[in-house]
Amino acid sequence: MSDQRAIDAVPVDDQAAWDALVTRFTGLLWSAVRAYDLSPADAADAVQGTWLRLLESLHTIRDPDRIGSWLFTTAKREASLLSRRHRDERLVADLSDAEHARLAPAGAAHADPVLAVLSADEGRRLWQAVDEMHEPCRSLFRLMATAPDAGVHQLAGRLGMPSGSYGPTRGRCLNRLRTMLIAREATS
Amino acid sequence: MTRHPTAIDDESLIAALRLASGSDPVPARVTTAAHATFGLRLPGATQARSVATPVPRGVRSAEGARLLRFTAAELTVELEVTSLDGLVDLAGQISPCPEAGTLVEIRTLHLTESRVLSSTGQFAVTGLPPGWFSVVCRRPECPPVVTTWTRIRP
Repeated sequence: MSDQRAIDAVPVDDQAAWDALVTRFTGLLWSAVRAYDLSPADAADAVQGTWLRLLESLHTIRDPDRIGSWLFTTAKREASLLSRRHRDERLVADLSDAEHARLAPAGAAHADPVLAVLSADEGRRLWQAVDEMHEPCRSLFRLMATAPDAGVHQLAGRLGMPSGSYGPTRGRCLNRLRTMLIAREATS
Repeated sequence: MTRHPTAIDDESLIAALRLASGSDPVPARVTTAAHATFGLRLPGATQARSVATPVPRGVRSAEGARLLRFTAAELTVELEVTSLDGLVDLAGQISPCPEAGTLVEIRTLHLTESRVLSSTGQFAVTGLPPGWFSVVCRRPECPPVVTTWTRIRP
């Protein structure tokens, strides 16, 4: 991880340091916001909003090691706000009032274990766990991952279940996967 | 490293599965915009933060208009946002009214519009592209005051 040390050692005060962050984290941020079932346009806004928040907060970031988890947490917040707003169907709104105040750099610490799961090694282990799962979870996860733009109706149809069952089934499968990860953790 | 899988929420787990499967690549325009964002930095500017805007009693705003308010220590920026044909119109008021010669810049990711502030502290722009925007108030002899970036989608 030599590139990681290089990034962490350099304060983000020039375009090259910024570009290094973008190269390293944009894929992660895109996946983070897309998990909120955002359209490509809304997901693009959420990722862009995350970089704008970093720009506004650069002077407050004291620990460069935390930029990754800070970005991840911020992206999830932006996506969650957009996702809620979408359901409200209102003209405009924004990250308002206290939302900015809560963007304290120190508040991102809890994202670290999550970031570990988003590493390439852990990703492979995650899919190994999925491969061991029974149906419908195995097919559901494969479909969910490979058809990110498919709607609930389409996904449910391909899995042969009523649309209303997709959400609860996905929730149960995610819980099972989480439990499998804990079990592996305990025996490793 | 200590990990706590129980702390992983559904969305993070879904993100991890998708990221590892590599089947949802980042669109090039998202990456390009991210790189360009650094160019929007305004070193030394004071930030005006978004605050809640209660609808004033007895005042009927234009249909679909939304009021936004941003405050810094020394001034307040108020914006009325309306939308026409998918584009965004902004009517703004800066108070207390800054001295003559104050410029206002309305920045989007793609273009910046400049206005000389009226003697009553007002400004307006029409036909902005939807998306992220920020307003910069440049008073003579003072550091610029910039609103937090705000997203508008009609």
